[in-house]
Amino acid sequence: MASPLEQFVNNVRTMSASGNFRDLYEIIAKSDEVLQRNSFHLNTVLETLDIQQHSLGVLAVLVAKFSLPPGNPEVDRSTMYQQFHDFINNCNGEQVRFATDLYADLCHLLTNHLVEIKQPIRGLEILKKAIRKIQLFDSQLTSIHADLCQLCLLSKCMKPALEFLDTDVTGIGNELGGINDSKHFLLYYYYGGMIYTAMKNYDRALYFFEVVVTVPAMVVSHIMLEAYKKYILVSLILHGKVLPMPKYTSQVVCRFLKPLSAPYHDLVASQHAASKHREIFVRDKNMGLVNQVLNSMYKKNIQRLTKTFLTLSLSDVASRVELSGPLQAETYILNMIEEGEIYAMINQKDGMVVFLDSPEKYASPETLCVLEQQMAACTKLHQYIQEMDVQIQVNPQYVKKSVGSHDEDMPGTSQNTKTTYTM
Amino acid sequence: MITNFDKLCADLERQELETPNGIASPSTYAQLLAIYLYQNDLCNAKFLWKRIPQNVMSSSPEIVAIWAIGQKLWKKDLPGTYEALAAYSWTEPVSNIIRALEENVRERTLNLIGRSYSSIKIDKLISMIGLSREATLQVCQDRRWTLHDDGMTVNPLPPAQPAPLHTSSEDQLFKLTEFVSFLEN
Repeated sequence: MASPLEQFVNNVRTMSASGNFRDLYEIIAKSDEVLQRNSFHLNTVLETLDIQQHSLGVLAVLVAKFSLPPGNPEVDRSTMYQQFHDFINNCNGEQVRFATDLYADLCHLLTNHLVEIKQPIRGLEILKKAIRKIQLFDSQLTSIHADLCQLCLLSKCMKPALEFLDTDVTGIGNELGGINDSKHFLLYYYYGGMIYTAMKNYDRALYFFEVVVTVPAMVVSHIMLEAYKKYILVSLILHGKVLPMPKYTSQVVCRFLKPLSAPYHDLVASQHAASKHREIFVRDKNMGLVNQVLNSMYKKNIQRLTKTFLTLSLSDVASRVELSGPLQAETYILNMIEEGEIYAMINQKDGMVVFLDSPEKYASPETLCVLEQQMAACTKLHQYIQEMDVQIQVNPQYVKKSVGSHDEDMPGTSQNTKTTYTM
Repeated sequence: MITNFDKLCADLERQELETPNGIASPSTYAQLLAIYLYQNDLCNAKFLWKRIPQNVMSSSPEIVAIWAIGQKLWKKDLPGTYEALAAYSWTEPVSNIIRALEENVRERTLNLIGRSYSSIKIDKLISMIGLSREATLQVCQDRRWTLHDDGMTVNPLPPAQPAPLHTSSEDQLFKLTEFVSFLEN
């Protein structure tokens, strides 16, 4: 065995035994090259290490092994899934938390591998486990989340991702935050938005696309552009118009995204844009959503009728909304009543429809229950904000910066912010 | 008859994800698909249908028959749904779920009709709930929907609202206290 490799094994053993994981991480982060150069012996090294006791060492070896170029004869990818499986199930969570970046890299490697061999569904269960193992708390976002969502979309099995998507993020893993690449952050929200769109949970989908587009940015990412296109479509389906972007959207985003997605803005103005820009929509793989936009326009028009009329004959509805006849109008109205989008009564004997007001009197126990839930959510949010505020106030970097910029009025400002928050 | 479909659903989902090569047994797929339809979870049913491998599908005509129902439900084609439900002789354990599905669809439709029609032609009603004329009239009687004098239209009534659930006043007081203490601090 080559001597740098021997040294690596020795380091892993002694430092794992003494519990000196921080230093060990420093070493293994630098030993990538050594490991890759000695690819012949990696399997032997693996045998000498114990997954539970030397998790960090095994992690480094696995990452090095599977990031070798595909042509390398030493890498047998058929065992990759099994090795990964064993590692996730048996590794020591406390140890690997010192190397979240390597841990995430390993997950990315597995994801890519499963995508290549076209068996994405096999990764769902194990990635779920991997995320739970590395998370410090449930609402922490890691870069593995994006992998899980990608595999869910590819395998057309959306449910496993929902439990993660439904949890609002309140913290971000080390390897994802700070100065690191924002790719996985953007991807998580983009894929998440797509999953919600597929599940027809448009409300939440819109929020996810909004998050992608409002990430502070100096340049526009391609992920942002695609998210913006879908944002327009989902907003049209949900509200019949494009909701304006929040004020905190980066300027560069507004400046570049709008001209780049002109066909989508055309769709707002006229329905004929759908056939005019058909090729673009098909190329962007958004044709299905465009069709849903067209369909929802009929519904919006019917909803508008309810604001003007109390009673209308079914044939009148059909002609005003440009449907083919009373029968189609009846079907639309029936479907809308089922979805709770309008309140109406159809009278087939006279061929009339009576539009009603919402029967909700806002005096029922259900309403109270909803109100209570909303209040609880707001209280919780307030708590989070206060916690974050405290964290920022004691952050050395923040203190240094605010002291440096306006030396004299520093105590005054801090006093002010405090009173604002305690109100 | 009353089995816990939600639990079965979770079990089946796990079975699918835990199969070593990613391809579950036809019976798992068939049951899961039927349960999604029963839960009226058409999105998940559609994606399940899309991810079932081709060779599993060709070996199991039952799955194809179940999705035939799903397609009709997706298009909200009620007469077609009942046709599709009757078109295949279901085998255990799927037949159990299918029976529950049929009742569920009919119950939902009746509630919808009650909410959205003040009068409806009896032929339309028959096609929407997929029963014979006699059975339909019986259903109308059970729900106290009256047949109009001309014998052609029925006047449905809105379904009765379920009784509101009462929370104890102590519980409400607790929540109120918490809310006020939040505002005060």
